Amino acid sequence: MTARTLNAPGLKRTWSSIFETGLGARIYPYLMVLPAVVIVLGVVVYPVISGVVSSFYDVTLRTLNNGNVTFVGMRNFQRVFADPVFVKASVNTLIWVVLNVVAQLGLGLALALLLHRAMPGIGFFRSGILVPWVVPSVVAVLTWRWMYDPSVGIVNEALLKLGIISDYHPWLGDTATSLYAVTVESIWKGTPFVMLLLLAALQLVPRSILEAASMDGASGWRKLWYVILPQIRVSFAIAAVLTFILTVNNFNAIWLMTEGGPLNSSEILFTLAYKYGFQRFDLGMASAVATMLFVGLVIATTLYLKLIQAREGD
Amino acid sequence: MSLATVSVSRATTAPRSEALRRTRTPKSLRKVLTYATLWIAFVWSVFPFYWMIATSLRAKDEIFQRPPALVPHSVTIQNYIDLLVGAQFWQFALNSLILTLSVTLISVALSVTAGYAMARHRFKGSVALPLFMLYGQMFPPVLLLIPFYVQLRYLGWLDSLYGLIPVYLSYMLPLCVWLMRGFFSQVPHSLEDAARMDGCTRWQAFWKVILPMAQPGIVAVATWVMIHTWNEFLYASTFILSEKKRTLPLGLSGLIGQYTTDWGVLMAGGVITAAPILLAFFFLQKHLVAGVGGGAVKG
Repeated sequence: MTARTLNAPGLKRTWSSIFETGLGARIYPYLMVLPAVVIVLGVVVYPVISGVVSSFYDVTLRTLNNGNVTFVGMRNFQRVFADPVFVKASVNTLIWVVLNVVAQLGLGLALALLLHRAMPGIGFFRSGILVPWVVPSVVAVLTWRWMYDPSVGIVNEALLKLGIISDYHPWLGDTATSLYAVTVESIWKGTPFVMLLLLAALQLVPRSILEAASMDGASGWRKLWYVILPQIRVSFAIAAVLTFILTVNNFNAIWLMTEGGPLNSSEILFTLAYKYGFQRFDLGMASAVATMLFVGLVIATTLYLKLIQAREGD
Repeated sequence: MSLATVSVSRATTAPRSEALRRTRTPKSLRKVLTYATLWIAFVWSVFPFYWMIATSLRAKDEIFQRPPALVPHSVTIQNYIDLLVGAQFWQFALNSLILTLSVTLISVALSVTAGYAMARHRFKGSVALPLFMLYGQMFPPVLLLIPFYVQLRYLGWLDSLYGLIPVYLSYMLPLCVWLMRGFFSQVPHSLEDAARMDGCTRWQAFWKVILPMAQPGIVAVATWVMIHTWNEFLYASTFILSEKKRTLPLGLSGLIGQYTTDWGVLMAGGVITAAPILLAFFFLQKHLVAGVGGGAVKG
């Protein structure tokens, strides 16, 4: 089906018919793509390149004002590496990512398996469990901050009643617990999305395979391990990479609960870059941290795309 | 195969083996356990949301009562009145609304045409472009923040709502194009061909035949953009400086005080900010879940 063969007789040469034949037919897909591509080039590609470039320049509010932005090579990176907070933030980022990814994948898989069954009332549970995913991030974070309130927060009250703690604890205000308290919120918020992805994957597992396994007497665990997991492994890997990307990019949770504090105890690389950039206005140092994050995320994204292509090949 | 033979031999040699029965949990108990787990997950997921609503309905002195009661003693809408009487809230809501509508309109219009062309036509770059779009979606916002700041400052667009529009497009448009392309590739080719045979121009076939077919996809993409723009905090908090240009999420976070916070009013604000999103979600649940979940996994 090519455009050239389709020249309806008696067609008036209207504006739209210009694109029916010849050169017009060949360029019109480009015309349709053009606006989106131009905007993406302008608001994504150009800023990304200039972000990476500015990590090699001395960009501060002062140099921006007097137009004295000079090339400084690796100096921004050296200054970042020399900052003890950077080491702290790197370790925290590692803890933050590992805890989030492991917990969200584990809980997400468990929930997906539970919600996959046809049981009375399952729609009710499914909608309820999706609530954290739907509640706006800022609203969710502020609500958790309220629940963590050291004196009248419900978290303290509940743990006290359950006998887990013996006294009120400032979860967000203690350097030993701040990062983990924020992680709990982030797991709460992120798990439903993983559940959703895995539920979609489970629905693609042919019923006949599961039934055959049951007929053969495979127990629940064996069925999970030998039949279900191999079937959804690509989706699971995709969910893992996506969770990783979303966790590294999760700014709201930490910023609105602790701003990385107290004493940088919940600082991750994202919040550190933000502080360099918009509290100290050393945009060069901020770009250096952002560039390092960017390299990590490009690797993750490439992996994600490879996995999607593997899925299409299935 | 080996699994099958093992179980067959088991079943024939010892059909009522006590050992086998003991390892299996009885069906009724399993059912109870399943429902118990589901309820725990349900309460865990919904409780913070409940707690926000409950707090928003409490009188000021009850909010700081120790220990907090699970159910409010006296229900009052005073917090909502306090929130809605001030002009500020309406200003924030209006700002959010203007931004959300503009970004949604632009994203949908551009992603429909681009997504359609990518799904339907072969041209130079028709394979690479979608991947390029997906990459665009994955860039860390922190890397974009700094160039955006420098650029907006240079253009004199810092602290302006329209300055936020291109910024928001950067994180919505690539994904929209990617999702729309997925939807268009599911609309059967033959319909368009039939319309063309009947003498429709390209534009007519697209407008009258293809667009209506892709409507669920358009709704899903539009909802996705609306939800995200309505919720966005990072860019707004960095580029909006003056109070009267704040968006809703920014206004909400501004209610957190240095020493004391009026949690009742704050939670009321949370409820009102979340309400349109939850409404949209419950009406469009199917489209949205299929669009976003499917889009992320299937590609």
